[in-house]
Amino acid sequence: MNRLVITILGIVAAVGGSAVVFVGINKLYDLTEDRYALFNAVAGGLVSAGVFGLVWGNRLVVSPVVVWLIAIAVGAATGYALGLFEDPMRRLASGIAGGAALGLVLGMRATASILPSIDPLAAIIWLAVGTGLGFAVSAVSGGQIDRLRSLLAGGAVGWLFGAWLAADFDGSRAEVIVVALVLGTLAGAFVGRRPFPNRIARGNMAVASRKYIFAGPALVFVASALLFPLVRTIWLSLLTGNPRDLQWTGLTNYGEILTDPGIIDFSGFGEIFSSNMFWLAVVLLGAGFVTGRIAGRRLGGNFAAGGPSLTMLAFGVILFGFALFTSIRGTIPNNLWWIFSVIVFAVSLGLAVAVLADRSKGENIAKSLIFLPMAISFVGAAVIWRLIYVARPPTDPQSGVFNTLWVQLGFWSDSTTASTVIAAILGVVVAGVVYLAWRGWQAEANAIVAGSLAIAAGLGYFIYRVVGPGIGGVAISELTGELVADPVLFIQETPWNNFWMMVVFIWIQTGFAMVIFSAAIKAVPEDLLEASRIDGATETQTFWRVTIPQIYPTIGVVVTTLVVTVLKVFDIPKVMTNGNFDTQVLANEMWERAFTQLNFGLGSAVAVLLFIAVLPVMYINIRRMQSERLG
Amino acid sequence: MLKHTRLIALLTALMLVLAACAGDSEPADDGDAGDDTTATTEAMTEETDASDEMTETTEAMEEEADLAGTEVTVFSSEQGTNEATGIQRALDVFAEENGMTITHTGARDFSEQINAQAAGGNPPDIAMFPQPGKVIDFANQGFILPIPAEVDAAVRPQWPAGTLETYSVGDTAYAIQVKTDLKSIVWYNTTVFADGGYEIPSTFQELVDLSGQMIADGQTPWCIGIESGPATGWTFTDWMEDMMLRVEGAEAYDEWTANELKFSDPRVVNVAQTILDIWNTPGNTYAAGGSIAATTFASDHGQPLFDGTCAMVRQASFFAAFLPDGTTFGEDGDIDTFYFPNVDTNSAPVLTAGNSAAAFRDAPEVWAVMEYLGSARYAEERQKAQTEAAGADGAGFLTANLNVDLSLWNELEGGFIEILASADPARFDGSDLMPAAVGAGSFWTEGTSAVNGDKSVEDAFTAIDATWP
Repeated sequence: MNRLVITILGIVAAVGGSAVVFVGINKLYDLTEDRYALFNAVAGGLVSAGVFGLVWGNRLVVSPVVVWLIAIAVGAATGYALGLFEDPMRRLASGIAGGAALGLVLGMRATASILPSIDPLAAIIWLAVGTGLGFAVSAVSGGQIDRLRSLLAGGAVGWLFGAWLAADFDGSRAEVIVVALVLGTLAGAFVGRRPFPNRIARGNMAVASRKYIFAGPALVFVASALLFPLVRTIWLSLLTGNPRDLQWTGLTNYGEILTDPGIIDFSGFGEIFSSNMFWLAVVLLGAGFVTGRIAGRRLGGNFAAGGPSLTMLAFGVILFGFALFTSIRGTIPNNLWWIFSVIVFAVSLGLAVAVLADRSKGENIAKSLIFLPMAISFVGAAVIWRLIYVARPPTDPQSGVFNTLWVQLGFWSDSTTASTVIAAILGVVVAGVVYLAWRGWQAEANAIVAGSLAIAAGLGYFIYRVVGPGIGGVAISELTGELVADPVLFIQETPWNNFWMMVVFIWIQTGFAMVIFSAAIKAVPEDLLEASRIDGATETQTFWRVTIPQIYPTIGVVVTTLVVTVLKVFDIPKVMTNGNFDTQVLANEMWERAFTQLNFGLGSAVAVLLFIAVLPVMYINIRRMQSERLG
Repeated sequence: MLKHTRLIALLTALMLVLAACAGDSEPADDGDAGDDTTATTEAMTEETDASDEMTETTEAMEEEADLAGTEVTVFSSEQGTNEATGIQRALDVFAEENGMTITHTGARDFSEQINAQAAGGNPPDIAMFPQPGKVIDFANQGFILPIPAEVDAAVRPQWPAGTLETYSVGDTAYAIQVKTDLKSIVWYNTTVFADGGYEIPSTFQELVDLSGQMIADGQTPWCIGIESGPATGWTFTDWMEDMMLRVEGAEAYDEWTANELKFSDPRVVNVAQTILDIWNTPGNTYAAGGSIAATTFASDHGQPLFDGTCAMVRQASFFAAFLPDGTTFGEDGDIDTFYFPNVDTNSAPVLTAGNSAAAFRDAPEVWAVMEYLGSARYAEERQKAQTEAAGADGAGFLTANLNVDLSLWNELEGGFIEILASADPARFDGSDLMPAAVGAGSFWTEGTSAVNGDKSVEDAFTAIDATWP
């Protein structure tokens, strides 16, 4: 309870404080033109408060409150002086005085653990390097930048590094005072050397700053919620060891991950050549290419992607992908497989539903039903599908839908009566499909002929299996020799358990793809479709050559959105297998390494890999958004 | 010129934000200054102040210090109704006496949660760890606090020699045992044994023969499952440890838990293969989830064992809590137990496990609760509450505390406590002793792969060796 109150109060204070800061800075810049000295005093105080706030926050000073208050006072006084004096010498003098005062305060109150023991040689060399760089910068700028200021800035940074940061921290109080005093003097001179801005310059200052002030809250939010964690994650990925005392280790974490056979394992690659799927894919790809080529010749081109050739090519690609991802195993191939399956199925199913439902009766009901799973969280969906996939022991009745059907089918195909009835019913269906093909043949609709014959062939094979060798989830018991249930362990049997989990994701995301595609299809100009029909194109041709090219940008949006979502998939594997049984994905791998094994280095390295994988997609997305805005 | 002005404006904004951030983190840092190791003088002074204060109050505590109004949070892996209720009620007894509030929370994914909480700087005051290995890891990483001398002195004599040593780095103990489990037990259905005329086996070979005879009679001998959410696989590690202890002996067992005897060693691989051969014998296993890897370790077994669907379950002493309400225990009851037999009858090795409490916050009320957790009184209060919550005999709670009143336990579980006291040799659960990356990581996951047949035992165990830190 107490913690809750403190948290809420903290949030209120943070929001209120931010609002006050935002309004305050805006008000502050209102002062630039008419009351420059006041503006400068407040700004000087704020900058000192910020710098010494950082010093305080990092516990670099003793009695921090006093130091902080003095710093604010000195900063404000210096700012006031710089806002008042126009004479360059007086400005320089007040700048140096203020800087030296701040340096003195810092030097006197610096905590004992950061007192530098000055190495004069190193300090002078770094001072020289700094001023040299400053000189180079001003020379390159061709007089745009004031030479002395450039030298002073370079010198200050060089001195800070050489005399303090690079030194051993076992020096005396006198040494730290000298170092801080010199540093303060250099920095103060840098500030004081700045010429007094006239009224016009001050007006410009306010105008130019205003946009940053307005963008400020958003920038701060992006920086704190996105950039800072990003940088910190990258930094963590280079460390290793005790989570409270991480040590630098360079790129070893990445090396460890990329050589881990659990992450990527090519050892099974050879099996691809012994898989039926692979050879079927080769045949389909070849046939699709030949068909497209023949169709293309007829139309006077090289290759024409029509319905039949595209269908074969698409199935070929799907089978090839599955053959590939079932032979190369590991977390990264799993993630690629997820991307591949979800894109292929969610996009094609979403598109198919959008097209088929378009302007038909009951379109709204059909679309609503398919969109419904979008309302279910991934965790909820995973729990539901775990029940659908569940397998029970052979001796118990099955409770999962799939295993109930599969096991029952097995018993039916074993019984003569049941298999005859099934064969008879399906025979009628096959006859109907063949009749459809015959009608298509007469109407010279090749797509219908090919489609119906393919369906008839599939059903025919199924009938053969039911009547002949048997199909379904049964097996001969090794103990009793009787026929017993042999359910499929959807969640445990690797590598296909990966695909059964992807089905859940596809089930959810198809609705998303469908809604977007549906809107895009409705936006295709009617006159284009009409023109193509008047020119004698069939409905199939109109779809492939007019509708699809018109919705290319939408397909791009859906694909990139899905890729990003799928890459980050976490909930479904977490709930269904927790990465067991070869179903690990990057997001869960990251979680496991970072939080289960408490190895933040490895976990962060996985996170960075995931981030790098998302980058190209984000780049494409942003590029397209920008070109759309321009075009 | 304009450029510089912009830069200054931006810098001002940035500084303000950073200052705000720095200001924000300050009180949070102060809050846990007690265990903060950053060696600024300031923090150090604070720390000494805090511990001075602590010793003062601890001294005062012995003279009935005033703990009224304080709050202590306890986090554990016990989320079952009986266990969670038992812990909360036992804590409430102490809390009410002292006018304080003690809140217990249990989570199934404790081992992940405690990592996230500790690393995120928001740990509970006290956590009950199932694994000593994790306690040692956390002690080395500086997350948990050493037990103060006064508490150590009060608790140590109440437990068998060597108990606190399990949770010690050097001579400093970091945790106190709060619950002990006896793992080497087989639970069996008395009706099935009586009807089949089966004898209690006295050697491991007799147990294997008994299983074979049951299969021949058409009775499924074993209920086996290793599913346990993120901890899937631990039941397999239990079998593995019990069998290592029997086949290879206590000495090899100690070498194995210290990684001197590798997982990929043929001796270890053979032990695992023996187990899997028994499990995978056709007709041997009833797995309610369809496969061993998909069957929950205990909750899927209570009903089938009670019904006689399977005859035996090898599970630790806490299994009583998973049997249906109204189950009676003992020779004349529904369910009885026998000792998981050794390969010969010359010795009776016993595998034990236990939960232990460690503290994250240095405060008198936390140490007062810690001392209570290590006392016989806590064990008795928990046993009373858990027996009441279970609503039947067999509460599923055991302790190795030497001063407990045995009359609070029933005959069966009182027997367990006696087995614990007379074990020769007794060994702590090996996976719990191994570093968390193995004992709560690869041993589970790779073991699951081997059980599921995704990998050969040899491949899986070679992979475990590779993850040993």
